[in-house]
Amino acid sequence: MSDNIYLPQLARVASIKEEVAGERSIKTFRVEPVDGELFEHQCGQCAMLSIFGRGESMISIASSPLIREYKQFSIMRVGRVSSAFHELEVGDVVGIRGPYGNNFPIDDWRGKNLIFIGGGCGLAPIWPVITTAVAQRDNFKNITVFYGGRSPRDIMYRAELDKLRDAADVHLSVDKAEEGWDSYCGFVPANVMDKAPSPSNAIAITCGPPIMIKFVIQNLRQIGFTDEQIYTTIENKMKCGVGKCGRCNVGKDYVCVKGPVYSWAELKDLPEEY
Amino acid sequence: MEKILDKKQVDAWVAALTDWEVHAPVLEDGIWAYQPVSGAVRLNHPNTKQSPKGFAFPQREIFFSFEQIKGEPPKLTQIMPQAARHAVFGVRPCDGRGVPRMDKVFTDHVDDPYYNARRKNVAYVGLACNKPPSPNCFCLSVGGSPVSTDGLDVQLTDMGDRYFVKAVTETGKTMMAAASSLFAEPSAADKKQLKQIHADAVAHPQRKINDPDGAPAKLEASFDSPLWEEMARACIGCGICTFLCPTCHCFDINDEVQNKAPLKGQRVRTWDNCQFPDFTMHSSGHNPRENTAARLRQRVNHKFQYFHKNFGMHQCTGCGRCVSECPVGIDIVTVVNKVTENVG
Amino acid sequence: MINIQDIRDTAKDMLAKGEVRAVIGYRRGSRGMPAEPAFITNPEQAEELVWDPTCFHNLSLYLVEDRKFLAHLNKTSDAPIAIIAKGCDARSIVVLLQEHYFKREDVYIIGVSCEGTGVVDERKLAPHLNGFQATKAVFDGDDFVFTTAEGEKRLPAREVMADRCLECRNPFPKENNVVFGEDRTGRELAEPFAALARFEAQGTGERWDFWSHHFDRCIRCFACRSVCPMCYCDECVVDSITFPVTPATTAEEKANRIRWIERSATRSENITYLMTRAMHLAGRCTDCGECERACPVNVPIRLLNNKMEREAREKFGFEPGASVGGPSLVASFLDSDPGDFIR
Repeated sequence: MSDNIYLPQLARVASIKEEVAGERSIKTFRVEPVDGELFEHQCGQCAMLSIFGRGESMISIASSPLIREYKQFSIMRVGRVSSAFHELEVGDVVGIRGPYGNNFPIDDWRGKNLIFIGGGCGLAPIWPVITTAVAQRDNFKNITVFYGGRSPRDIMYRAELDKLRDAADVHLSVDKAEEGWDSYCGFVPANVMDKAPSPSNAIAITCGPPIMIKFVIQNLRQIGFTDEQIYTTIENKMKCGVGKCGRCNVGKDYVCVKGPVYSWAELKDLPEEY
Repeated sequence: MEKILDKKQVDAWVAALTDWEVHAPVLEDGIWAYQPVSGAVRLNHPNTKQSPKGFAFPQREIFFSFEQIKGEPPKLTQIMPQAARHAVFGVRPCDGRGVPRMDKVFTDHVDDPYYNARRKNVAYVGLACNKPPSPNCFCLSVGGSPVSTDGLDVQLTDMGDRYFVKAVTETGKTMMAAASSLFAEPSAADKKQLKQIHADAVAHPQRKINDPDGAPAKLEASFDSPLWEEMARACIGCGICTFLCPTCHCFDINDEVQNKAPLKGQRVRTWDNCQFPDFTMHSSGHNPRENTAARLRQRVNHKFQYFHKNFGMHQCTGCGRCVSECPVGIDIVTVVNKVTENVG
Repeated sequence: MINIQDIRDTAKDMLAKGEVRAVIGYRRGSRGMPAEPAFITNPEQAEELVWDPTCFHNLSLYLVEDRKFLAHLNKTSDAPIAIIAKGCDARSIVVLLQEHYFKREDVYIIGVSCEGTGVVDERKLAPHLNGFQATKAVFDGDDFVFTTAEGEKRLPAREVMADRCLECRNPFPKENNVVFGEDRTGRELAEPFAALARFEAQGTGERWDFWSHHFDRCIRCFACRSVCPMCYCDECVVDSITFPVTPATTAEEKANRIRWIERSATRSENITYLMTRAMHLAGRCTDCGECERACPVNVPIRLLNNKMEREAREKFGFEPGASVGGPSLVASFLDSDPGDFIR
């Protein structure tokens, strides 16, 4: 890596998979270095991806740190840069710099029950934790994954989630009942309430739309989870990734440096500006 | 190193600084602005309209250029600043104190290579404020002083027809050594006079933040105060306060395309402003600070709470620019005082 | 002479009776001489209102802000909002009414006549004060009286008045619900467009040099646009820092947000910004001069707007903001309109 923090490394798109179609479509991109190796990362960290001529965007790294050959990103088409990503073809070259931010303290969670709660594209930032935990299955007790989308067509990582059932309890949900859907119908926080996972020796990790996170945390606390047992990862608009441009500033923290991963015990002390 | 320099010799000193491109405040178009000067340095300015932060952190900085022919990988060319060594004359103590604050931002956690490349080539020759140059000065309220040398390489104090010149850093000593014959040793009387001028400067009344030490805790406790909305009512959301500020450092990064096919362009950093509506807006449209009240609160809290928590000092240096230049009278001194006045 | 107490009493009375939601006016600022915008919502606060030569702000900007705020909350106005308006400000309100930005019944116009004077230009005042700062300014006939640490300083208003006031032909707010002060329309203190005429007497090269110099100096803080009541567009054509994204905004719309200029404050971008703004103000700018006053680096923005104003006047006999029922410049066509510029 160059010592110029703003100069991206070149990476080639190795595969593109459409996870979710439609207006809020999500595609998963695997990128490999054009030369040499990509940086190492930890679960929960992000990278700044570039399409030259369009700009940069901060994206969670969705692949496990155990995978060294490529890095994976699941990107929802929402704006200028993400739309440009959706126009890419395999073999195209993008820019990548990172890793940015802190990480989920997964090594501290050995011997615990892990409960993952994701909504929409919020599965991607916690996916490296899930896959790393599964790869080190013996280090953890029960692994439970709650995940929901607006409709069955909005469920990402469908095949991967099915495979996950060998190693974890998976509870899927969609917001509204629909023919052919035999899992839970309702919002993610309600599904969590319905299954009421035990807080005993457990850590809950949640990511999704801000409103979902809010109610998930509320419900977890009601079930008996303490603030220290709840982790989330937040996003704010970012430009530099290194705590200088000021965009992601919340209270005394630059989310790109001190975050994006917070326990609720830490996050509740910050102003609600995320 | 302390010396006396006759004011008539300032131009000769500037001329002797052949290793440096000398900048000094010049009145042009009705405003004082730092301009390159070759001699004729007259430090009779109040304070410059813009702070000298642009010498290390210019409003526009090119990071690298990119070129791409379709079907081939892009070619990136890093563009590091090739700036001359800048000696900035007439820097007021508040702006001097802005320098270490900017240094903290751009070197904390990781170094910003562009800032560092410029910063190491800038020397600040300060001018003590014998009396406050602006009716909205409040440096004494934020840990500063009209005679502070913080951030400066050399400090000049106006003693009528002479300057008392003090080297603050090694760079400052080198600059003085470039024309050592121009400088005289100060007499005991000179030192006494300097002491008196500095004492008078500090005693001069200024605007006042009532409880600057208590501000971080009190602001934290006032986050949900209805006063923010009331005081931000007039705010028009322009960039004057932050662009003129000696310590505001927020920026944007964009790709500027000169040619679409084959692609040719540059990645560029530009100053940005937390008072602009879309500064924090997510691509989803969710905006964590969606109104002027939240944005004013952010600016004030960043200066008087968040930065203080991270670095143990206020980020505001009391230059008063944001107060004097706000077209609608938003006054950070009043805002801090009002928000904190009834908090435990 | 306007007695400010009369205005305060009117404001107090309307607020007490609930006839208006708020009164937008001027009060003492906390940083010395200049007044500042005030949003008075309860009758007691009406005593804070002031009227002096530092009431330069065109408050009609806040009618625009108020409407945007209500729209954001999906609310409609339950009572009019009252506003103190000088002649130029009232003309701005007329333009906003012509453009149907809000309805006439939504606003209660408290007109104030600039009588023999206008408002002070702080840049012109400074050299008269021996380095002292004025803390207070009052009207006194055709003079302004300033208070400084040295004592009182009386100056003929025309020496320190804003240029736009010197050139103002309509210092009396014609569109009003109530009006204070004497109508002294017709008092011309300086020839209108004098600065423009001087500028245009120069050659092309000199004019290009002049504007290149100023376009290079713009720092693009957008104060001129932010302070202008006519720059109310949700999405400005030159950039999109105020682009309102809602949950309904599509990815295409967001990806294709207008970006005709880069964020860099370089000459090409600044020209595009400032010239586009001037064009979009043609027939709309009422020469309140706020853009030029707000500019921290003294770009002579008024000169651009004056050019458009004079074109409208000479070519189409058009006076922006003359009457609510009157036509707007770019949305009306008359047989008598000149056509010789179309070839």
